[in-house]
Amino acid sequence: MSVEHPPLPDAEALFEDAPCGLIVSREDGTILRANRIFCTWIGRSVSELLGLRFQSLLTVGGRIFHQTHWAPLMQMQGSVAEVKLDLLHRDGHVVTMLLNGVRREHAGGAYNELALFGTTDRDAYERELLAARKNAEELLWEKTAAESALQQLKSELSIAYEKSQRRALFAEQMVAIASHDLKNPLTAIRMACDFLARSERNVKDTQLLRHINQSSERAQRMIADLLDLALARVGRGIAISRSSLDLHKIVGQSISELRVTFPQARVEHRIKGAGTAELDADRVQQIIGNLIANSVAYGDLQHPITVMSEVDSGMITISVHNEGPPIPDSLIDNLFEPMTRGSVKDEHLRSVGLGLFIVREIAVAHGGHVAVTSGTATGTTFLVSIPTIESAADTVD
Amino acid sequence: MDLERRNNVTIVGDGPATLVFSHGFGCDQTMWSYLYQHFTGQFRVVMYDLVGAGQSDLTAYSREKYSSLAGYAHDLVEIIDRYARGPVILVGHSVSAMIGALADRLLPERIAAHIMVGPSPCYIDSGDYVGGFKLEDIHSLLDTLDSNYLGWSSTMAPVIMGAPGQPGLSAELTNSFCRTEPEIAKQFARVTFMSDNRQDVAGLLTPTLILQSTEDLIAPVAVGEYLHAILPDSTFCLVPNVGHCPHMSAPGACTEAMDTFLQPWVGEHVR
Repeated sequence: MSVEHPPLPDAEALFEDAPCGLIVSREDGTILRANRIFCTWIGRSVSELLGLRFQSLLTVGGRIFHQTHWAPLMQMQGSVAEVKLDLLHRDGHVVTMLLNGVRREHAGGAYNELALFGTTDRDAYERELLAARKNAEELLWEKTAAESALQQLKSELSIAYEKSQRRALFAEQMVAIASHDLKNPLTAIRMACDFLARSERNVKDTQLLRHINQSSERAQRMIADLLDLALARVGRGIAISRSSLDLHKIVGQSISELRVTFPQARVEHRIKGAGTAELDADRVQQIIGNLIANSVAYGDLQHPITVMSEVDSGMITISVHNEGPPIPDSLIDNLFEPMTRGSVKDEHLRSVGLGLFIVREIAVAHGGHVAVTSGTATGTTFLVSIPTIESAADTVD
Repeated sequence: MDLERRNNVTIVGDGPATLVFSHGFGCDQTMWSYLYQHFTGQFRVVMYDLVGAGQSDLTAYSREKYSSLAGYAHDLVEIIDRYARGPVILVGHSVSAMIGALADRLLPERIAAHIMVGPSPCYIDSGDYVGGFKLEDIHSLLDTLDSNYLGWSSTMAPVIMGAPGQPGLSAELTNSFCRTEPEIAKQFARVTFMSDNRQDVAGLLTPTLILQSTEDLIAPVAVGEYLHAILPDSTFCLVPNVGHCPHMSAPGACTEAMDTFLQPWVGEHVR
């Protein structure tokens, strides 16, 4: 049994209604034929198109691209494929099409035969891909930039660290040099004074020798303070070396020595609890010395200076109290900063202004702190609080 | 620096003078195919690809160096120094005509003559000057280049249909001579179409032949005439041609005009 097939479309119908735009043009682009589909896509009639140049249907960018890229390609290799072009619809909107073209030679010359496919959706997709790629590249660039900035900062940091290490080393060397070269001559001066004082002296000589002795002592204290400042500020901090000691005993010894240094003051010592603690004995003496010197300089010596030492429930406290005018508000905020000084009654008591700074640094080096309260009625109290080794360990855990 | 590799330098023919062919924006030296053979009998012919185009060494491309035509002019100077013998005549298409003029400024007296094919000293209209384009047109071109990004990228080389009647065409030509790395193509487009070389080229005393197509969107007749007016020793030759590549679509008319212009450098005239 045979089946009747409908007749196949003829060439003309195939051309006009092909599922793509078809154009035949001269080599210069002049359109000789255009099929119905193409006309529909760009909203123009065949009669409008005939005689126009194909490139005149393109956006300006497309025309330049035609001139610089695919026209030479058509000429050189006789065909182009997958060229994407923006064509202008009669009403002005852009229609994106993909173009394949062949240059076909005939006896009288050559024609360009073009097939065009609408590709609006794919174009949108490709643009999205492009945008995503661009975005990814930007992010990569940002990441790279951030990394190189980080690297730069790291190297700057490492340079700064090296620099600070060198400065610390220098400060320590300075400390070593100064302690040798300045302390020794002062010790020699004091020994000579002692030696001279052993012989019989008239009143004036004795007075002069006492001056020399006191001034040398003061100079020694100042040097020690300056060295501590150097260590705390540019070096690796004030070093402490803890050992088990009796706090009350150490404080008592300091007070005995200070009574000799400051005969004009009355110093009382009160103790609370057992005195066993892990502290740096020399530094504790320095705390007492600096705080009492401060009280002598600024307090009312009609009243005794009271020192209290206490070890209790994980906290070591040392306080020094004196009566007298309160510390002015203008000073109190910066009291523990170096070079802060009040006005001293007695010129001999003037210091470099490092005493309280060093007290704080010693307290901090022990993991503690120092506080001050000052008022007209209550007088002035400095309170150094240092956690015991055991309680400090608990806190860390 | 390996210039031969960097610029894919080709040397053919021999003669007392050298013709250096420099292609324009879009393709590469292959576009001289219809023209150069005419001259190899009487001239040493040097052709090359601008860095970033054709078979040039893409690793030599630097965004800084090629951010202006000066970078390309510098390369051309090096190529002349290395490969040219005797008087040098530069044949520059489109933007390469200006690259040639810049090279002339860098190498005074070394360049005997220019042949400028479809030249334009400035593509964008400014004041009374009509270059043929507005700034937004150049953005439209960049957009077109962008939208062909996938087509031109190396990973998706377009499949070329059989080209009937052109069996001689070698396979490696397929689209490649007009394919450029997209980012390079865009920068070159920007550098080409945004540049204004009117000051550089004005008053250049070197003899110059201007080959102007009768109908050229990219370098309109008015632009060729403008150039003729500001070049004191120039010859203006209107070639009947539609399009920007008369050396491809009207090679006969081009060689005829060039032969006449090149007379002083042919054979016995050259010491």
